[in-house]
Amino acid sequence: MKSVSRMATTALQKTTHPHLHSHSDSSSASTPSSSSQNNNTMASALQEKEFVAQFAEPHTPLPPQEIQTRQRSQDLGHSSRNLSVKDFELVRTLGTGTFARVWLVRLSNPAEQDRDKVFALKVLRKVEVIKLKQVDHVNHERSVLADVAGHPFITTLITSFSDHDSLYMLLDYCPGGEVFSYLRKAKRFDENTSRFYAAEIVLIIEFLHEREGVAYRDLKPENLLLDAEGHIKLVDFGFAKRLGNRETYTLCGTPEYLAPEVIQSKGHTTAVDWWALGILIYEFLTGYPPFWHQNPIEIYKQIVSKPVHFPSEPYTSPEAQDIIRQFCTVDRSHRLGNVQGGAAAVKAHPFFRGVYWDDVYYRKYRGPIIPPVRYLGDAQCFDTYPDEKHGRDVYTHELVKKWDHYFEDF
Amino acid sequence: MSYPSAYQEAIESLNQEVSRAQPSDILQFCANFFAQRLEGERADLLAGPHSKPPAMSGSAFPGRFGANSNPFGDGEKLGSAGGISNVIEEEETDTVESPAAPNFSFGAGGSFSSPFSGDGAGQGPPSSFKPAADGFPDQYGMGRRTSVSAESLNPTASSNDNWSPPFHQKTLEQLTRLRKSISGNFLFNHLDDDQSSQILGALVEKPIPAKDIKVITQGDQGDFFYVVEKGTFDVYVNPAGEFQPGPNGLGTKVATIESGGSFGELALMYNAPRAATVMSAEASCLLWALDRITFRRILMDSTFQRRRLYESFLEEVPLLASLTKYERSKIADALETQKYPAGTTIIKEGDAGEAFYLLESGEAEAFKSGNPAAVYQYKKGGYFGELALLNDAPRAASVISKTEVKVATLGKDGFQRLLGPVESIMRRTKYETGVEDIDPLSTK
Repeated sequence: MKSVSRMATTALQKTTHPHLHSHSDSSSASTPSSSSQNNNTMASALQEKEFVAQFAEPHTPLPPQEIQTRQRSQDLGHSSRNLSVKDFELVRTLGTGTFARVWLVRLSNPAEQDRDKVFALKVLRKVEVIKLKQVDHVNHERSVLADVAGHPFITTLITSFSDHDSLYMLLDYCPGGEVFSYLRKAKRFDENTSRFYAAEIVLIIEFLHEREGVAYRDLKPENLLLDAEGHIKLVDFGFAKRLGNRETYTLCGTPEYLAPEVIQSKGHTTAVDWWALGILIYEFLTGYPPFWHQNPIEIYKQIVSKPVHFPSEPYTSPEAQDIIRQFCTVDRSHRLGNVQGGAAAVKAHPFFRGVYWDDVYYRKYRGPIIPPVRYLGDAQCFDTYPDEKHGRDVYTHELVKKWDHYFEDF
Repeated sequence: MSYPSAYQEAIESLNQEVSRAQPSDILQFCANFFAQRLEGERADLLAGPHSKPPAMSGSAFPGRFGANSNPFGDGEKLGSAGGISNVIEEEETDTVESPAAPNFSFGAGGSFSSPFSGDGAGQGPPSSFKPAADGFPDQYGMGRRTSVSAESLNPTASSNDNWSPPFHQKTLEQLTRLRKSISGNFLFNHLDDDQSSQILGALVEKPIPAKDIKVITQGDQGDFFYVVEKGTFDVYVNPAGEFQPGPNGLGTKVATIESGGSFGELALMYNAPRAATVMSAEASCLLWALDRITFRRILMDSTFQRRRLYESFLEEVPLLASLTKYERSKIADALETQKYPAGTTIIKEGDAGEAFYLLESGEAEAFKSGNPAAVYQYKKGGYFGELALLNDAPRAASVISKTEVKVATLGKDGFQRLLGPVESIMRRTKYETGVEDIDPLSTK
């Protein structure tokens, strides 16, 4: 443990702590930082590869109150100045987004004991990020992920780095694939299965909102992965944002899951995640979201004006219907999770009767779906994606001059 | 006393409809509203192929019936033996057991089939998978849904630039027509008067001089919303998803938009490809245009300013002095704005107190019975009725608006829902400071 932490502080520059870089104010303050910078220049990519290799395997969860303070999680999520994409071998694509692609990767030229170790590498093209006006969002993503690294149900940002064209986030690999795939395959989940996933998500939301002050803003089955044991890992923090005590205004999310206050630009808070959880549980139980239409405008009209309606088939219990209706309440002063008690009130809802929340957090319940994972780097649970299109826009000198300093945290 | 949530939702949507339609015959309007809703719901029920209401007994909550049972189904706790409850493979022929039955497990041996194998191993007759035969919406797109996002904007008040919304002069008739055009739109119908007039002012004239000019093109990125002032426009959709060169590139004509109509509203939310091509159907048409950034900034700036105003007002209320910043922002979030003309009795002496008020603009006065002179004057930032949060004592005075006023109000029930009883919030001052005497509830 000791050598690990030393490795971390020397090999990885702590960009989340800018005071470490300051060197002008007083000599006593500048001594440690300059020595660590010396070490940094000497630290090789090799050392950093050793460092990241140890995070390829799952760890026992830290208690939620220790995630911010324990060394192991503090070592995680820093920017690396030595690693580059050449240190990884791209195996195959795990997912694509509008400006990002996630790869299954191995270490290139690995040490003998690290040969089987795999990671997920999220690659964002700077020019696309700029074109889609997502510069703020990718910076939020990196910094929020760095802060929450270590939570049992959230993807772990091991380190990040960048080169001329792209930004990279090295994440733990979650071999079970998307809950989305299992849900579409099965059409719908039974109530116990839905409750299991909902319970793990409640713990994620509680942690993000009440310990970190972070709104996630893109909950949906596509962003939930299963690990080898069938537990949830929340991925894609592209819209996550630290709110403090303020509301925020940028419209973002996924049409079917947008809260009414987001659609109507009323300023929104962490309460949007509870709304989305209601939509998610509904979709688990019925196989489709409560508000849907081919034309997004029609979805939005329904969201702001129509109550959630439950079909006669499949049967949903009164408790499930009640928790969904309480989450999907337009008036935020009535919305479960946002009202007094916060997440504790959610946990006490009859839908979760009998759930031992500590056992959920420490992964004592067996996952209802055990992914068919045959070996460490098995990716059969992921869909396949077409290769990247060629002839993308170029990150020109002008763009570099104007924008590159916005990416310096990577 | 709280109402069932389904009831509150019904009332909420009724409220929205009423404020949108402003009906003259309220009772008739409400009757129609509920008749329609009922009809829709009954139709949905009838459309379901089977009606087999599963019995509640022994169903989804094993936890209720035994101390050692598992809320996630049988045998899921690590180390325990038994099957793994799994996702449901559709089984339409099975009429004995509801598909939602909890003990749907894959045999006692703990074996499981790959969720990708799709043969429903261990569940009786193999695959009788019938898509869309069980009330499953057959048109629902089952693909991955992509995220959407507008550009991130920061409120003007918290940044350095001095942005102010553009203003384009319009005649009274034009304004009336525009107001009518957008009043039913869900992106506009909840705006307050100030926001609406800023939005109306920002709409800019866009003349379309000739016939067959494409205002928006299917597949292109969209930034503007349009209201038709004069002329007609045809809407075309190409099934390929975008306008294509060549004779049939427009696709099929699906609609015509006339004066008073509008199109392109999705562009006010985020940048998305246009779903249709809209082309002028005659010469000398006139449009009003509004771009997304202007629209979103107007709403954001006014909401941001109002929220900061409310928070600063709340800081001045001694009763709420011990609220944390987070709690104050929650209350500010829940405050509702109301307007009253001069001379309105906002609270009445002797009535039960239900809500408290912050005076956002205008002036008001407090009167006590038997005293013709006002006993107190309220100005912007003033507050009254706050004791209602504490107890059910009748209002000690009446408050009457002196000018037109705008108040922000929150009911006792709303306050308690968000933060719990005020008594406990006030009492915590005592523990935080360690001073016994300042318990504001101690009766001396």
